Amino acid sequence: MATLEIINVTKRFGRKVIAADNVSLEVHDKEFLVLLGPSGCGKTTTLRMVAGLEEVTDGNILIDGVDVTDLPPRKRNISMVFQNYAIWPHMTVYENISYALKLKRMEKSEIDRIVHEVADMTKIGELLERIPAQLSGGQQQRVAVARAIAVSPKVFLMDEPLSNLDAKLRVSMRTELKAIHDSAKATTVFVTHDQSEAMSIADRIVIMRHGKITQTGTPEEVYDKGANLFVADFIGTPPTNFFDVELQRNGKGLHLVNSYFDLRLLPENEARLKGYNKDQLTLGVRPENIILVKKSKSILDTTALVVEPQGSHQVIAFRLGEKIIKIVAPALPKMEMGETIHLDFQQESLRFFDPESTLAIGD
Amino acid sequence: MNRKVNKKIIKAAKDTVFYLFLTTLIAGMLLPVYFIVSLSFLSTREAYRYPLPLVPALKTDFELTYGENGYILSVWDRTDKEYQTVLDTNEVEKMEVYIKARLGTKITQEEIRAEIARLENSGQESIFFTKPRSLLYNYDTFFKVTRDAVPALIRSIEIAALTILISLSIGGLAGYAFARYIFKGKDALRFSVLFVRMFPGVAIALPMVFILAKANLYDEPLGLSLIYSVGAIGLTIWITASIFMGIPKSLEEAAQVFGGSKLQAFMRVTLPLALPGLAASAMYTFLGAWNETVAAIILTQFKPTFSVVVYQTLLGAQGNVNLAAAGGIAMALPALIFTFFLRRYINQMWGGVTV
Repeated sequence: MATLEIINVTKRFGRKVIAADNVSLEVHDKEFLVLLGPSGCGKTTTLRMVAGLEEVTDGNILIDGVDVTDLPPRKRNISMVFQNYAIWPHMTVYENISYALKLKRMEKSEIDRIVHEVADMTKIGELLERIPAQLSGGQQQRVAVARAIAVSPKVFLMDEPLSNLDAKLRVSMRTELKAIHDSAKATTVFVTHDQSEAMSIADRIVIMRHGKITQTGTPEEVYDKGANLFVADFIGTPPTNFFDVELQRNGKGLHLVNSYFDLRLLPENEARLKGYNKDQLTLGVRPENIILVKKSKSILDTTALVVEPQGSHQVIAFRLGEKIIKIVAPALPKMEMGETIHLDFQQESLRFFDPESTLAIGD
Repeated sequence: MNRKVNKKIIKAAKDTVFYLFLTTLIAGMLLPVYFIVSLSFLSTREAYRYPLPLVPALKTDFELTYGENGYILSVWDRTDKEYQTVLDTNEVEKMEVYIKARLGTKITQEEIRAEIARLENSGQESIFFTKPRSLLYNYDTFFKVTRDAVPALIRSIEIAALTILISLSIGGLAGYAFARYIFKGKDALRFSVLFVRMFPGVAIALPMVFILAKANLYDEPLGLSLIYSVGAIGLTIWITASIFMGIPKSLEEAAQVFGGSKLQAFMRVTLPLALPGLAASAMYTFLGAWNETVAAIILTQFKPTFSVVVYQTLLGAQGNVNLAAAGGIAMALPALIFTFFLRRYINQMWGGVTV
């Protein structure tokens, strides 16, 4: 296994389109790194450049310290799982998995051993003589994974491999992929636009937007300490709630005020905003950090617009001016639509953003 | 109750109209084929009768009597239901030629002499005898009598094969480029390859005489296949491009990632998957090159193609309509065989490329 370094890589299509803009990142040995971002953010292009399927306009790609920027895919010692699996329809499962091994001129017995090993690992041992048309989507997915591990690559690339599966299978496959990664110990780059998939599977997440990396961090870091409004909004369902507030200082302390509430900050939050000297601020609060309280302790009273029971919890939506705010509350007591609710913010989890630069402040 | 009956009647009427329409359609397609097949087996005498016999006779009935010049040979006419005099001669050789050529019937001079002897020994006014038809006489004659038929057949196969080779290698690669790459002027090019097909073959053929003559390719199979390729390449590009588009690019990319070069990826993944489409395209090209006559007439002189030979037989003094029919069938046969062998692939294409 190996490390992967992407150094100042840029990809241009024609003159105008910049798919990846000066991207730099390092993937550690045996790490499961997820490239996350909305469609068109450049994550797939970046992955394809690592694979060698897309030429690099500028910059370098190093695998295990060796510059592979100008090498064809077959000389990079990588393997890939494609979004549509890309298993060859005219070959049996066995032929699909053994294709790369045959090209490496391995011994027949050795090929046979490896094929059976990876087939067992991915639970397709019984399907080796079938052709892809006889397989379900999930099974095809497993074949694609088996084919990719069979070559024991230095770097394992996955381009939205779960996006063609149905919701239930997707969740179970991602657990399996994680388990396979743990046993194969492969350095992995995984591309997805599904933030919950990224959160559940990644060692580290790289969030991309407009061809640039906007934040890199562990799932906890990007969730709790989103570097800007985009990350805070993109990560988590329901997304972070944002409030435009005014900073008001009166004798006793710092208040965040808008026409709906007046929040007096605790001293530690006040300290976080010490260096900030603008009047306007964007307050970000995760849905689970807005809590139901007694009327006497609330800073905001409103009526529930929609209540979505989720079994383990309930999502309550209410209107604040133009905005719909969603909060996540314990399943009990059950709320009804139209019921008056009393709310408070958990101060230790508040996020502050500069509305002009959209960057987080006070971290 | 009444309504139910009405519905049944309407349905029966609808079905009747539908099947009538269908029958007419099928008859319209099959009748000409039937006629030419039947015609190719008729004897020359039969082929010029009106109305035309629907099926060729399997034997010929003769009546032999004495005549002014020796013997009168009469033949049973199926249309008029009587013996009709065809020959009055005492030359056995003449009789044999006539019976073979005009009546397509197997006979030898000895047999004729035997019949004459039988007539004279019998003391009767006339005798009757029957001889079997040689059904393949027209085919036999077509290849024997018609100048060049066999070499022309070989030449036609050669030309068709060359045309497939040229148009598939150039058109197929161009189709691949159209399917996989984005380049300047792609749309304009895509239409301009069809543009070539809009010119009638005759119009191009005349100037081509000069061009080919300069290139020493006039009256050569290669020259003709080059001309045919001009039109065939356009169609090949369109067919193969759509085939290649149906094969996901990622299949090739996977082949590259898993150890193949670009060429290997193409040969081992894309080409086997594209085979049905390529076969269909080859079939179109084959049929086009095989059946083409007009340009071939202009562009050949001493080395005609098979279609030219059939055409000349039909038109010239070389043969009769039944001979031309035999030639036509002989010409259709290779195309049928070729299509038969490719049908597996072509059927596959109906269902689309299964990926």
